[in-house]
Amino acid sequence: MTDADRIAYLAGDQAAVDPADAAELDDVRALLADPAMWEQPDPHLEDTVVVTIAGAARSAGPVAGRKRTRRPILLWAAGAAAAAVIAIAVAIGIGSGNGTPATTFSVALGGTSLAPAASGQATLTQTNAGWKITLHVSGLPRLDNGRFYEAWLKNPADVLVPVGTFNQSGDITLWAGVPPTEFPTLTVTRQRANGNQASSGQRVLVGLAHRTS
Amino acid sequence: MRVVADPVVVSRFAAGDEDAVRALYREYGRLVFAVAYKVLGDRGLAEEATQQAFLQAWRASASFEPSKEFGPWLATIARRAAIDIHRREARHAHSALDDADPAASGLISLPPSMDQVYDAWQVRQALNELSPDEADLVKLQHMEGLTHSQIADRLNIPVGTVKSRSFRAHRRLAGLLGHLRGDDHALPQPPIGTGGQR
Repeated sequence: MTDADRIAYLAGDQAAVDPADAAELDDVRALLADPAMWEQPDPHLEDTVVVTIAGAARSAGPVAGRKRTRRPILLWAAGAAAAAVIAIAVAIGIGSGNGTPATTFSVALGGTSLAPAASGQATLTQTNAGWKITLHVSGLPRLDNGRFYEAWLKNPADVLVPVGTFNQSGDITLWAGVPPTEFPTLTVTRQRANGNQASSGQRVLVGLAHRTS
Repeated sequence: MRVVADPVVVSRFAAGDEDAVRALYREYGRLVFAVAYKVLGDRGLAEEATQQAFLQAWRASASFEPSKEFGPWLATIARRAAIDIHRREARHAHSALDDADPAASGLISLPPSMDQVYDAWQVRQALNELSPDEADLVKLQHMEGLTHSQIADRLNIPVGTVKSRSFRAHRRLAGLLGHLRGDDHALPQPPIGTGGQR
């Protein structure tokens, strides 16, 4: 098979190559016809990836540094200890009601390909009862007649915890029993009231929580 | 077709540097997405897998050996991330058949092998090397199955231009994808199973 034959066969000339020799190029032709080769990701995915890694880096410290020397390990441990002290202090502050500012996280939510015009902003505030989520959503059409939106917090192992349901855009209050430190991804899915409590997987909004105070 | 990531960029990526993350996403993001879409057959899930793949690559980056190619290592991670989501969705599929997308065949079939994933990675990488005009033409010809005449009508250009552009595009693809047909200048095989074990 000459290069010219290969080019011609790849370009669609079935007669250019003996069928016995064509198999090696058929895989390439099949891939060129595969939508996976042509589908484009959402342009916002780059920002989502950057935000996800930045958030993980802030909460975990640089992976590379942990491996190379002992010093970053000690610093990391010292940082973790300091964080624990701060967390205890915050918890005591909240529990005693002495006016210490509550721990809060914020989430900028972006619409997925299912709802590219949607967006949202959430604030997660720690209280004695749990995490209060104040969510403002725009761009989501109303769902009713057994259909609704459901919000979830997700951890890195993809464990989902439901935090509330709603019908349309606007100001919404949700509650979570798990902390955004461990479940940092906030998602919103479209659901049906069909007895299935699991996520439909039809995500319309996604965002990552960042500590703000 | 060897694409070696700048070791400085990879090192900065490991440190979580935002510019480095963006640089590697722009270099490899669409390739990772193509692999994920190949496994999952769903755009939203493929985007989620892409996000997870980069996060997992960052977490594993301390053990990445700079002398190795970053692309095949990342392709392995991308496939694993997509398969994890494939399995998760398969667990839920039995209870949500009424919402199932018949086009999402990736959810009801076996995921592609590492060889198939790497072929997809290479083809998508080769397509990145085409000019936008050439890529549009190849897409119309192969994915939409249009003839040269139909492409000429669609793009409002002469048939002769379609033919010459098609030849140039496929000559370039044939050259870029030579290793997929067993030529002597073949790429080394991807390090199957190494990335996800890091």
